Amino acid sequence: MNCEWVQQNITLYLYNELADDARHELEQHIARCKVCAAEVSEQQEFQVQMGALPVEEPSASFLAAARMRLQEALETAEQKRAWYHRFAFDPSAWLRQLRFSPALASLIFLVGFGGGIGAMYSAMGKGGPTVISKPRTEEASIGGITSIEKEPGTNNVKVQYDTRLPASVEGSVSDPKVQDLLLYAAKSNENSGVRLNSVDALTSKASDPRVRETLTYALRYDSNPGVRLMALDGLGPYVKDDIRVRNAVLEALLNDSNLGVRSGALHALNPVRADSSVRMALQQLSKEDPSEYIRTECQRMLASMPSID
Amino acid sequence: MVGQAQSRMNDTELIREAQRGNAAAFEELVRQYDSAVLRLAYHLTRSEQDAQDIYQEAFLKAYRNINNFRFECSFYTWIYRIVTNLCLDLLRKRQVRKEDSGITADSEGGTYDMLDQVADVRSGASPERDLMRRELGARIAKALTKLTPRERMVFEMKHYQGLKLRTIGEILNTTEETAKNTLFRGTQKLRAALKDMR
Repeated sequence: MNCEWVQQNITLYLYNELADDARHELEQHIARCKVCAAEVSEQQEFQVQMGALPVEEPSASFLAAARMRLQEALETAEQKRAWYHRFAFDPSAWLRQLRFSPALASLIFLVGFGGGIGAMYSAMGKGGPTVISKPRTEEASIGGITSIEKEPGTNNVKVQYDTRLPASVEGSVSDPKVQDLLLYAAKSNENSGVRLNSVDALTSKASDPRVRETLTYALRYDSNPGVRLMALDGLGPYVKDDIRVRNAVLEALLNDSNLGVRSGALHALNPVRADSSVRMALQQLSKEDPSEYIRTECQRMLASMPSID
Repeated sequence: MVGQAQSRMNDTELIREAQRGNAAAFEELVRQYDSAVLRLAYHLTRSEQDAQDIYQEAFLKAYRNINNFRFECSFYTWIYRIVTNLCLDLLRKRQVRKEDSGITADSEGGTYDMLDQVADVRSGASPERDLMRRELGARIAKALTKLTPRERMVFEMKHYQGLKLRTIGEILNTTEETAKNTLFRGTQKLRAALKDMR
């Protein structure tokens, strides 16, 4: 081992990237070579010097903002993909879609049972009988035009369209079919009253991860503060055990536009106030939040935190 | 080691679920890596806006291509590969535009001096020492912009993120030996640029 080799490998030595035998030899060399030992000291000094530009963890609000933007972009990407799949037939995606599409499910129901075996179908669920009414075909409306083809040389056109059929289901929230419809309504319905009622019904089943995922979605993205508060109520008991719930509640505390939702989030986080991300947010909000109530509550929660020995 | 194997196993399950179209599984993958991704992108770009753009583009790419993931490497390596490619593209563009100075842009598009980003958080720091440290931080940030994008990337991942050179080589689709040489060159350049500060 000569000085040239040592000098070229000091960087690797200091970054702990040398094999054990090479490391041993290099250490032996610098113990007897002053020039190389000086070079090691200089490089060590350089590494300390580089620490003047520290790597900071992204703040909770910076991370939350990035996550929210990403979530929006993912939603858009998902919608685009769904649009594509309407035209490119994919059986698995089609079946997935079927699970959430009551109108389509009803149509399959009609085909499967010959369209007129009975006026009513009942199934026994855990919480009592689930009653699915027969789709009212006479009330079918156009759900969307999928294609129009003109027949060459004639005045004829072929119009392909989807139809929507009104139908209803009655049963326990525990019934998978009812639950699927509630999960669908909580995310997709344009009527905030319907969303509120579906989220309200789902809060009793928040022990189910799928339900919590929908409640988390409602807390993050629903435009109606009442729906967000309702979702928060259902998620509250899970901040301790479900990190995704905790993050969503933390995001609501930091970014929600409604003070009621923010104070609800603050109280929901009380059992996990010692968690580092929660503590950081509390410290930040106790100093900077525009709401005096939030500032005071954060200070109170921080003061009641058990001291670390 | 057991923890790593456990995490790899969990990742495998989550990836398979995400490949079946489970959005919650993909979201869980994002949550496991996004803080590290944002930290890397922010330290490299020194701009909240650019870091957020890279973060978003990286995970969107991962989402669009999750079905092409063949488990030939870990998800960690895969997502870092996407992020480093995006960062390299940005650094190259900046070099061409020669716009990378000590002045950077925040999320609102406003500018601030890099000096403000280098605070001395140690207890008992005097204002003079704090100022010196901030000046040194700004000099380091400037010296880093003089490296080639690849030298910068290797140095960043080794010195600031603490990755092994073998992993860095894998992320950058090169050999460990090349990563070693790149680190050596980058370090030498930085030492020369900062010599008068010692």
